[in-house]
Amino acid sequence: MRGIAFSYHLRSLFVRRSATFLTVLGIGATVAVVAGVLALQQGFERLYTDAGRADLAVFLRPGATGEGDSIFNRDRGRRLINTVPEIAVGDDQQPLASMELYLAVRLRRVSSGGETNVPIRGVQPATFGIREGEITVLEGRQFRPGQDELMVGRSLLGRIRGCELGGTIVLNTTPFLVVGIFESTGPSGSEIWGDLDRILECLERTGPSRILAQLKPGSDIAAISARLKNDKVVPAQVISEKESLSSQTEMLSAVLKFLGAFLGVIMGIAAVFTATTTMLAALADRTHEIGILLAAGFRPVGIALGFLFESLILGLLGGLAGCLLVWPINGIETGTTNFQTFTEVAFGFRVTPMVLTVSILFALVLGLLGGGLPAWRAAHLAPVKALGRR
Amino acid sequence: MSLLRLVPRQLLRHPLRTLLTIGSLTVAIFLLCILRSLVTTLDATATTARNDRLWVQSAVSLFVGMPAWYPDRIAQVDGVQSVARWQWFGGYYQDPSNFFAQFAVDPQKVVDMYPELIVVEGSADAFVAGRNCCMIGRGIANDFGWKVGDIAPITGALFPHPDGADKAWELEVAAIYEPGARNFDDRTLFFHWKLFEETLTTPEDSPGVGAMVVRVKDDVDPSVVMGAVDDLFMDGPQRVQTTTESEFQAQFVSMFGNIPFFVSAIGGGVLAAVLLACINTMLMAAREQRREVGVLKALGFSDARVGSVLLMQSLFLTLVGGGMGMLLAKGIEPGVVAATSSFMPGFLIERETYLMAFIITVLAGVVAGLLPAWSTRKLTVVAALGARD
Repeated sequence: MRGIAFSYHLRSLFVRRSATFLTVLGIGATVAVVAGVLALQQGFERLYTDAGRADLAVFLRPGATGEGDSIFNRDRGRRLINTVPEIAVGDDQQPLASMELYLAVRLRRVSSGGETNVPIRGVQPATFGIREGEITVLEGRQFRPGQDELMVGRSLLGRIRGCELGGTIVLNTTPFLVVGIFESTGPSGSEIWGDLDRILECLERTGPSRILAQLKPGSDIAAISARLKNDKVVPAQVISEKESLSSQTEMLSAVLKFLGAFLGVIMGIAAVFTATTTMLAALADRTHEIGILLAAGFRPVGIALGFLFESLILGLLGGLAGCLLVWPINGIETGTTNFQTFTEVAFGFRVTPMVLTVSILFALVLGLLGGGLPAWRAAHLAPVKALGRR
Repeated sequence: MSLLRLVPRQLLRHPLRTLLTIGSLTVAIFLLCILRSLVTTLDATATTARNDRLWVQSAVSLFVGMPAWYPDRIAQVDGVQSVARWQWFGGYYQDPSNFFAQFAVDPQKVVDMYPELIVVEGSADAFVAGRNCCMIGRGIANDFGWKVGDIAPITGALFPHPDGADKAWELEVAAIYEPGARNFDDRTLFFHWKLFEETLTTPEDSPGVGAMVVRVKDDVDPSVVMGAVDDLFMDGPQRVQTTTESEFQAQFVSMFGNIPFFVSAIGGGVLAAVLLACINTMLMAAREQRREVGVLKALGFSDARVGSVLLMQSLFLTLVGGGMGMLLAKGIEPGVVAATSSFMPGFLIERETYLMAFIITVLAGVVAGLLPAWSTRKLTVVAALGARD
């Protein structure tokens, strides 16, 4: 079987450049929309999954689906920390464990003045030992234990009222002073941090939400969880921080993936139709030439493959156009509510290699589907009739 | 002879291409209608709520309750007719992914305050009478196959049953309601405050009061009552925030952040794709029709009339495609309503959306028709007649 030179097809695309250009842009717009949604999903999911550590254990109330609906009695929490032998010990011979209160508080956006739910986390001093290297104070300083002071995650800066160095945030009736701005690798970059006991008192909470602890190397989290589940004094369920964070992404991730797929299918149909139209016109223009090729002994299969190749190139160009269109949104920060925690998180669009790969593959599929019918028709042309058409 | 007779002839010259173009437009206009309606529905949620009902919540957090004595104190405020307690229960049926809203409420008061809850099976009286009874929306009744008289076992993630976290709260379905207003969803379960309060035994579990709905007397200005209630607890123990029901619902819409903006941006991408598809087709058609254009010009037809043949073809394509897209959107609307009701009740494609889709359709047709019509103007008769297919 003799194939037709690739350059013939490339030149054909060039000769019909206005149609090629419009088709490529059409596929590109489709790909860009899908890639944009995927980049949003990636930015959100990676924020959680990149940060979670497998050697940190999260203790929750049995039955709780996350820290938002978990609560411990403070004294029993302390008792739990002292009785779990797997918890690592720090340089000061104290357990590397911290009780944390997590609550979404009502604050207002800078831009619209609208209300949103910002997570506040009351922590104990051990947190900074556990989180060493993960939390960086960019401006100001850490809050002091026992003081009405807070530090705010960098993502909140300029988005939430009061979240600036020297700003004031009122918790119920107590004003707290913002003394620091910190950066974090994970979702805590959208949180406000302060002293556990001050926040418990001012928000009138009965106890912390969870206990975060660093485990000794080789500890088996599942075994601890099984042991503590039916504990008489302090029952708890235990998961790794990694698991805890990734479980918070399921809902929004699924919604975004569904949205991407839905848009991809619907807009993909339109793009395939456009590609088919273009390739049919290419076929009509070249019927005479194809007659010559058939008469010269080229096999119909080769001619069909040639058309498929041509439409694949259309798809590839469309995919590249889509990637170029979507590239500028990479890194743009945005915020929405994670409805699993009912709090607002800030994250950037991330055009990851996965997003680019999916985009190019999607574009190739569009091109291939668009070229199918014209290729089939080209292969079924009768040489004599084709030659007779001018 | 009217030149317009050429329009259907030319369109039938490549029936497949005509169909494909119409098809592209159909899906694109369909998608535009759905996307815009997602945004308008979100906005409508906040604006259709009633303003004689006020919501009192903690000013601190959506997740913090208020002391148990607050409702009685608020009931004494001038202009308040009645106060109903609401508590978000945050449970699930069998698996956490079976998500729907459950509230512990004062049953009689909710039935009185919400004429939008139209009971279609069972009765509101039965719901009010039985301490372990609940009233559920048609949506969850259908999803889980619950009928009047069945037991709905709800696992309390937020409020575990005192007999063990694995034990479900057993509520008897006494009434099934359908919403009588757009802002109301059909996926909520209401059960008795009394049962809720009496089942929880330890003080740690007791949440206080999550939210209260205040019905204002008919001749009273709601904003005065709002101010009076907020002032009561200004210095603690827990500050409260009193809003109209529409503002209360607006806070949930506000949570979506930039998402509505992205949906609009996606609409822009769809628009671009529609336009490109139409222009592509019409440029091809114009190229093929060059010889006919030459003939018409030689016969003395003006550029405008020759161009109008192309414009008419384009408008025909877009109007048929756009019309079918709108019909498709209309047809699929009930399906979207069902799919989105859990987080966004009352999906509706507004008349303005159809109008917008129509205008876009016409504009796409005009742009895609004028562009090739313009290019044929410059064509000389000789060149046009000499053109090959």
